[in-house]
Formats: sequence, C-alpha cells, structure tokens
Amino acid sequence: MAKRKSTSPRSTAKTTNPNSASIEATRPTISRDRIHVFGVRHLSPMAARDLRDLLDEVQPTIVLIEGLHDATDLIRDIVRKETRPPIAILAYTESVPVRTLVYPLARYSPEYQAITWADDHDADVRFIDLPSHVFLALQPIRVPAIAPEEPATSEEHSTPADDDADTDETSDADSPAPFEHTKGVYERIAESAGESDYEAYWERRFEHLDNSGAYRTAAMAFGEQLRDLREDHPRENAENLIRESFMRRCIDEALAEGHQPEKVVVIVGAFHASVLGDEHPSMTDDELTSLPSLNAKRTLMPYSYFKLSSQSGYGAGNHAPAYYELLWDCLNSPSRVEADQKHRGVDDLAAGYLTRVVRELRKSGTHRSTAEVIEAVRLSRMLSSLKQGTAPVLEDLRDAAVAIIGQGDRGVLAEPMARVEVGTAIGTLPKGVSQTSIQDDFNQKIQSLNLEKYRSTVKQDLSLDLRENRRAKTEASAFLDLNRSTFLHRLALLNVPFATLQNTRQASATWGESWQLQWSPEAEIALVESVLMGETVEIAAAYQLQQGIENASTVAEAAALVKVASRCEMLPGMLSARGKLQELATQSAAVADTAGAAHELTTTIRFGDVRRLDTAPLLPLVEELFVQSVLGLIASSVCDTAAAQKLMTAMDQLNNIALEFDERVDEALWIDRLRELARRDDRNALLSGYACAILLERGQMDNDELSREVSRRLSPGIPADLGAGWFEGLSGRNRYALLARQSMWSQLAEYVSQLDEEQFRRSVVFLRRAFGGFSANEKRTIAENLGDHWGISAEEATDLMQSELSDDEQNALEELNEFDFDEF
Amino acid sequence: MAKKSTSPKSAVSVSKSKGNPDTADASSVLRQPAELAFADEIDALIRAEKDPCPAGWRMSPRSVLTYIIGGKVGSRTILPKYVGNDRVVQIAISTLVTDRALLLIGEPGTAKSWLSEHLAAAINGDSTKVIQGTAGTTEEQIRYTWNYAMLIAHGPSQEALIKSPIYRAMEQGSLARFEEITRCASEVQDAMISLLSEKRLSIPELSTELPAAKGFSVIATANTRDRGVNDMSAALKRRFNIVVLPTPAKMETEIEIVTNRVKELSADLALQAELPSEDSIEQIVTIFRELREGQTLDGKNKVKTPSGVLSTAEAISLLTGSMALAGNFGDGSVSPGDLAAGLQGAIVRDEEKDKLVWAEYLKNVVKKRGSAWRPLYTACEDHNG
Repeated sequence: MAKRKSTSPRSTAKTTNPNSASIEATRPTISRDRIHVFGVRHLSPMAARDLRDLLDEVQPTIVLIEGLHDATDLIRDIVRKETRPPIAILAYTESVPVRTLVYPLARYSPEYQAITWADDHDADVRFIDLPSHVFLALQPIRVPAIAPEEPATSEEHSTPADDDADTDETSDADSPAPFEHTKGVYERIAESAGESDYEAYWERRFEHLDNSGAYRTAAMAFGEQLRDLREDHPRENAENLIRESFMRRCIDEALAEGHQPEKVVVIVGAFHASVLGDEHPSMTDDELTSLPSLNAKRTLMPYSYFKLSSQSGYGAGNHAPAYYELLWDCLNSPSRVEADQKHRGVDDLAAGYLTRVVRELRKSGTHRSTAEVIEAVRLSRMLSSLKQGTAPVLEDLRDAAVAIIGQGDRGVLAEPMARVEVGTAIGTLPKGVSQTSIQDDFNQKIQSLNLEKYRSTVKQDLSLDLRENRRAKTEASAFLDLNRSTFLHRLALLNVPFATLQNTRQASATWGESWQLQWSPEAEIALVESVLMGETVEIAAAYQLQQGIENASTVAEAAALVKVASRCEMLPGMLSARGKLQELATQSAAVADTAGAAHELTTTIRFGDVRRLDTAPLLPLVEELFVQSVLGLIASSVCDTAAAQKLMTAMDQLNNIALEFDERVDEALWIDRLRELARRDDRNALLSGYACAILLERGQMDNDELSREVSRRLSPGIPADLGAGWFEGLSGRNRYALLARQSMWSQLAEYVSQLDEEQFRRSVVFLRRAFGGFSANEKRTIAENLGDHWGISAEEATDLMQSELSDDEQNALEELNEFDFDEF
Repeated sequence: MAKKSTSPKSAVSVSKSKGNPDTADASSVLRQPAELAFADEIDALIRAEKDPCPAGWRMSPRSVLTYIIGGKVGSRTILPKYVGNDRVVQIAISTLVTDRALLLIGEPGTAKSWLSEHLAAAINGDSTKVIQGTAGTTEEQIRYTWNYAMLIAHGPSQEALIKSPIYRAMEQGSLARFEEITRCASEVQDAMISLLSEKRLSIPELSTELPAAKGFSVIATANTRDRGVNDMSAALKRRFNIVVLPTPAKMETEIEIVTNRVKELSADLALQAELPSEDSIEQIVTIFRELREGQTLDGKNKVKTPSGVLSTAEAISLLTGSMALAGNFGDGSVSPGDLAAGLQGAIVRDEEKDKLVWAEYLKNVVKKRGSAWRPLYTACEDHNG
C-alpha cells in the first residue's frame, strides 16, 4: 500500500520542487548547539511577547520558522502594508481526494510577530517545515520512508485497526499545529493539574508568565515532558521525526550560508524544540528525494476570528481569538514598560475583559453597573488564587461574570461573552495576493458576465431576464442573464455568500429572477476554500452537488437537488440526482413526500424551457412518482387533522400535475382515486370533502351527485366533527362553485338545525374553522344564501349581518367560546 | 477580643458555651449541625493548616474546599460533602473571601442549604446563625427586636435588645445564613440591601450603629421553581454573587450522592433495615432522571414529566422511607413493594394527571426493560392500580 503511494509520484517531486533538492551532498557541519531555539504554541500571545524580547536581545541575522518550506516566498506578501491578519497559509493537493494544510496567523501569533520583526530589522526569514508537496503526500502514508530513530515502527505498523481510524481522520483537512496530538495526553495533563480543561491549564501556566524568558524556559520543559508522555501513534510519531530532521537540515543550510549560530533564532512548536541540536542527524539528500510527493499548491488567504474559533474542518484553532488579542494588547500596553515592576500587563486583562462584556451587555439593553465589574474582577482574582494562578484565566473570568454580572444566569451573557472572546475580525490581503485557480476563474467569469461593479461591499440588486435576448448580436450577450443566473446559482451551491436569490413577486414567471449581491471578506474566504473541491467554479460546484446527492437521505432533499442541478445547468448532476430520487422514492411510502418531489420536478421541467437543459429524462420519473402518490393516497388518508393538512397540499400538487401533464400522466387514475376517496366514509372526513371539492372543480361531479353526497355526509346521526370536518374539506377549494349552489346551503342549514345541543356546540368549532378562511364578502353571500333558505330576503340578511350584536347574542357567543376543546 | 477567645476552641465548645441545653447530649439530637457531625474532620484540617486564613476564618479557603469536596489531610480522609461540581464550590468560597454575600439558587433538592451549612461550619465552626425565611418573616427578625418588658420598664438599652442571627454575625465577624430568602416578602428582603452594601446596622433607638467585624458575610439560599416564592429586587440581587446549583449532571454522580446520603441517614436514624441494593438505587435514580428530563437516558423515547420536581433529595428520602417500611413492617430487606410505595408517593402528586404519566411510563419504558426490572414493574403496577 504505502510503497505504491510513495513511488508513483516521486518523479513529479523533482520537477516541481528543484530548489530543496539542490543541496550539495558535502555539507560542512557547523554545530547547531548554539542557535537560539524558541518553542511556542501557535496563537499564543505570551509566546509572541517573549519571542520579541528575545529577538530584540539577540538581533538575529536570520529567523527560521516552522512553516511550509516552499511557502517562504509568501512571506513578502505577509509583510505588505495592506495585509491585515488574521490570514492563513493554505496548501492543497491538486488531485482528488484533496488534502489540505492550513496555517492560520493572527496578530498575536509568535510566527507573525517574528516575521514582522525580521522585516523591520532587515533580517532573513525562512520557513523550515517540510515543503507542502511532501507534507501533503505524507498525510495518509503509514510506513515512514526514513525513520532510523524509530526501531518499534515495524511492530506498530501491524495494527490495521489503528491505521483505518487514521485514514478517516486524515481524509478531512488535517492540522499541522505542533499540539495536534491525541487529546488524551492533554486532558490528562490538565486533570493532574486540577484544571477543568487544557485551555485553562495552558493559559494559567504559560500565557501569564509575564517576565522575560520565563515562557521560553517553561515551554521548552513542557515540550520535553510532552515527548515523554506521547502515546504510541506510529504514523504521527514518524511524521514528526521526518519533519524534525528536515528542520535540522534547513538550519544546517542557514548556517552553511554563513549565518553565525548565535545570530540564528528558530521558532518551532514546543514539541519539536528540544530535538534540533547536534545529537540528532539532519535529513540527507537521499532521504529527501525518497520522500513521497504530490502536486500541491499554496496560497495566502484571508481568515477570520470566527473561523479560528470554530475550528470547523481544521484542528488548528484558538477558542477565543479576540480574547487572546486583548491579552496581546495588555502585554504590550505602556504600563508594562513603566518602571513599576509590580504591575504586569496581564493584570489589566481581567478588567479589560469584564468591562467589554458589560459594555456589550448594555448595548443589548441590560444595564449593569461599574461596581459589579469591580466585584467580578475581585471574584475572578480570588478564583485564580485558589488555583495558585497569578492572574485570572478565561474560565475564572467567565464564572465571575456569570455569578455577578449575569446574576447566576449564563444565558444572558452567552452573546456578550462570545462577542468579546471570538470577535468579528476578518483579515484582508492586498488585491491579487490570494490567487487560487478558482479565484482566477471567478474573476474571469465576473468580467465576462459584466458583474464587476457588483463586487463591492454595498448591497446591490440585480434583476435577470432568463429569456433569450433576440435583439442581441452574439450568443453570449443573448444569453447573458441566463449565464449570470447559472453562475450565481453555482456560487450559492458552493455556499459562497456573494449573491442571495430574492423571492420574486410573480411566482409564476419562470424566466425572472431577482438577486441581491454583496461582496464580503467571508465570500472571499469561502471562495478560496472552494478550491479544495475543484479548480473552477463549475467543477467545484459539480463536486459539491455530487456530495450532496450522495448524502441525501430524503425524497425532498433529492428533489431539491434535481432543481439545484438544473438551475446550475449541470446535466450529469441532474441525472444522478434523479437516480437518487428514484432510489429513495421506492423506499419511501409517504404520499406527501413523493407528491412534493413530483411537484418539485415539474417546476424544474418548466424551468427547462429557459434553461437550455434537456429535462426530458425527468418526465418518466414524474409519471412514476405521480402513480406512486396517487395509489398511496387512499391508504394514507386514515390520519389525524395535522397530517391531513399535508395531504391536502399533496392533493393540490397532484392535481396540478394531472392538469399540466395530462398527456403523460394517468389522469383517469387520479379521477378514479379521487372518487373513491370522496365516497369512502372510513377515511379522514376532511380529505374526503377535499376530494369532492377537486372533483367539483374539475366538473367531474354534477349538482345531483353533490347534493346526494351533501345529504349523505350531513345526515342526522353523523357525528358533528365528521360532518363539519367534511364540509371544511369541501369548502377548501373553489368557493364560488359552492356559493352558487343554493341547494347545498339548505342542506347544511337543515343538518345543523337537527343537531342536539352538545353536537351543535361541537359542530360550531369545525364550521367556524371552515368559514375562517372566507372573506367578509364571501361570508355575506353565505348569510344571504342561508337567509334565502329561511325565507329572509337578501337585503334583510345583509342588514342583520351589519347591525351590532345585542347583549344576549354577545353572551351566547361567549358561551360558545368557553367550549372545552380538551376533548379533541 | 471575643473573637479571639472562641476561635481556637473546638466546634463542640462553641455551641456548649452558648449554654444551649439541647445540644448537650449529642446522641439524643435528631440531626446534629455540620460542625458537630464533622468536628474531627474540621479539627484535622485546622491542625494541618499551612496557608494564611482570611480575617475571621478558621481555615484557609483551600482547606474549606477540601472539606467540601473531599480529599486528604495527612493520612486522614475527608469525606466529600458536595459531589458533582467542584467549580460551583470554588466560586462560592471565593465569593466569601471577597466579603461579598453569596446567594445559592437552584431547584428544590439541589443541596443549597446543605452546602450553605457546611460552608458556615468549615469557615466559622458555627452554622447555627440562621434566619429561616417564611412569608411571615418580618424586618425585625432580620435586624433586631426588643425585650418589650425591659423596653417598657427601662426604655431602650443594649440589654433590652434582642439580637437577630445577622446582628450576632456582624458583631462576631462570622457568617450568617438566610434560608429561603425569596419566601420573605420583597419588602422584608430589602432590609438586607443597605446592610450588605454598608456593612453597618444602625440602631436609631440607641443612636448608635453596629459596624460589621471583619469576616462578616451572608449566605442566602433561594428556590427557583416553587410556588409561594417572591421576586427579588434588582438592588438586592446586585449585592449578591449568585451561584446556580445544577442538578447532578451525570448519572454516576447522582447515584454516588444518593448512596452516600442513604448510608449516612440510615445510621443517623437507626433504621432497622439493610441498605437497598446497588441495582435498586440505580433503578430509582434512573426513573427519577428520566421522568425529570422527559426522555429516557438513551434519548430514544420521549416520556411525559409529572408535576413534581423529582429532586435528588426526594430520591434519598424515598429510599430511606422504603427502608423504614421494610424495617418496621417487612422482613428488613427493601423489597420492590417498598420501593413501589415510595415511588407512587413521590411521583403521583396531582392524582389525575400524574397517575396517567406514571402508568404510561411504566407500560412504555419500565415494562420493556427486561427481567431485572420485572419485580419493580409488577409492584408499581399494583400500587398504581
């Protein structure tokens, strides 16, 4: 397995990456022992602070940073004036399955601070971790290509279960952070220190070490301890060994170029910090060339604090980026520089955090006083001293805030705390810096579709007419709006928040679309990430669609995907969604679902006319779904009122399909089933009534039949809820047909008059609901109809309706209101 | 001075020095205050104390924490008093160190009073300065009242003053407890406002005021979910650090709490019955948790919730109740019938509705649980009839 993988792409390694392979074999060996190694945790403000102190002191000529070796050329873009973190370095393979590596950088990242320091002081900067094409290729490989220090590897490799688990993990984006190891170790460390989680442990032990050099010493010791504690994880261990030996190789290179060892600062994860000395060998040329390789690309991309905190997809995150930025600001506040040795920057953090929380809370309308902030600061300090901390950590601050500012209620503070801890910061890059193939494709499309002016942060509306513009000279301009629509639909499928489809007022117009467009950094981020699914917008969208189809589990989902595919003009996707829909439909028996799906398909077919998409393959499926739904109708009509509402919608949809595609679908079957349902007494009365209404509307039921049915349904002895429920169904459609049939109203009046007191009260409930949807005008016509039956002229009836209610009548109505509904 | 003379003495001597005859013979008391019941643990902690103690405290905050959540002092094991959420205890203790008043809120039976008593016992060796709040509690009972015979005979004087528990706590610089504060009328609660913010109690009749000695604070408890509780004014809330006591989050924790407490209580009450088996405790806790949360533990079935709260405390009293039943009227071992009688009483509060809820739960959930649950199911069915 592993060998095959490592051999096949080797040829590409040499061609794509000549620079790292071109090192002469006879390297002079200069001792690495005197270089300055600084072990960090990524996204650690205290590390950044302490590191800057070290840099100021050492004044290195070169700074070596753990990061993708071949991303070194991106550094010049990182230090550009217009670049504002958070940003991230993204590396990904060109082939499927896409493997990715993400290195996020915030303002308070030690790596970022080191880069800016080097830029300010004209020192060299270089990334010294494995180049991306090797690192990415290593991800799924089990047997390390070189691992002389690892004698136990062969034994450990013989645990296939472990390997399988790994494959799953690494198939989604993996993280290069130095602390990405299994959680078990970290939880154990935190637990043994009496902390509830690792974050609290880390913050208390490391982030508050506010005097020069303390962090470096502590992190170095911690890294060594971690190496002892690490678990038997053959792949991970092997990967680390390879990375470390490559890092040593890079350090040797720098020394060979003439940098004095005392003037070299190396910044790596604390885990690697202790093994960069002379006692371990560096990677040789042979070893390097024997490493597997994959075609890979890398780019800078803007990042957001929200992404950092949510860690979605990537392991490299930071649960409270804005909070750590606040800590970074505190550490750099002027008060730290002052001669007052007792006051440390970190002491300002509690007040800073709690004040911000209270201000956010006030913005949302809940007032809390400054006195409460003071008390909360005191409580948080006390909590921290119980744990022998020097300053409160985030956990202490949160608990203190809840006890005092939130008055015991965590819910009130959830949003203010999230705002202060996570924040909304989004990074920016200068135009043109972040260039992935999908961005190129996007830019090209935006230009050719004449959408350039919508690429602004101001929200703009765009109305599209999807029909062919017959006056246009070229085909491109004739179908401009249609192409735009397809493009925007594809972006929507990729979840790029650039354009949102608005509801059109004319629901029937299949050729009109109204969009709202707004460009945002989030859209840029989403777009860059889409490159992981494909090189162009179209390919990525197709991939996303296919994923969606594979994951679809309900008929409704699959039907929606058919529609999406047609709007994105993706025939293969549409066909595969159709296949999935059919497969799911055979498993699902719910009439409401299949009818809904059939309806969805018919709208797609109607769209097909404008969409230049052959929707003919969908027609047989519509037929199939139609038959399935119609046949299931009678059986599923034994149900309660709530389910009946859904079935009424389904009946509407089926009826529309029967009308619209009368040549394709079996309309006779539909009418037959409707008749059956109308006739049956043992189904939900509401649905039977509704079936009558449809038949009536389609002219399949004449007056005699209706009047026979009415008298049968509303004959004495029929329980009020059944009789009135049936009537409710009947009145659900086509009211004019009902209003015009005087005889029916007479029958209804007679039916009501023969009910006893109890039955009458019950029937009122249902009749009220049945008439609830009628307009005032319609109600008046009903009154007139009934008046006619009782021998009152239309005028009199209208007068009566419009006169005020007498007290007695009012009381009688209120009595009805007190009817106990519990029995239903 | 007074403070100095009492603090080094053991807890026993403190209560004796008050000349309270009821506490003289420990064995005849139904339930001893925590400082007596756990006197040796408290003494051991004080003896081993290394960290500095805040003013008015008998031990350091860390030792108080050990006393409450359990641990070791030298070779001696300290029993855990509050199980489940150590963080809550840490916040409570820190609050008292910062001289803020502490308000413990929670549903009935989440060990609010229990925690408050043990905090006072550990910090001051005296958990008896208590105001038990009711709808009839007056402002005088919070501040001070008069010995009216003396007041009429000699006019207002220090001797005629009857001091409230809070008054005494302010004098001595110790903790006062205010149980069920929300059961008092809101106006009465508000007597605490200026007292807590200024830490002085004015006595206009004697034209003096009493400044609180260092170490004074108040632990109040309040119910969130009960009838007959009053709102608390925002001004008063602002003077408390509010800690919400959660219902035990984990099944194991709750079983542990129930098992320990049942063991302790049965010793205290000298119940003539064997302790219920582990299985039956687990079954009772399972039933309580499922009915409380409205779903089965595996989350697969929804169940209706009865009107009662079904707190952990109720599970404990149910089990001791069935032990009493078994001891006095049965063969001394807790039978499913004894448990069923207790369950019926705990769950069916509002005859009509709860009975249905319980019957439904029995049929849909308990019946399907297999043979281990069968005896309990049959017994419950009989009782629910």
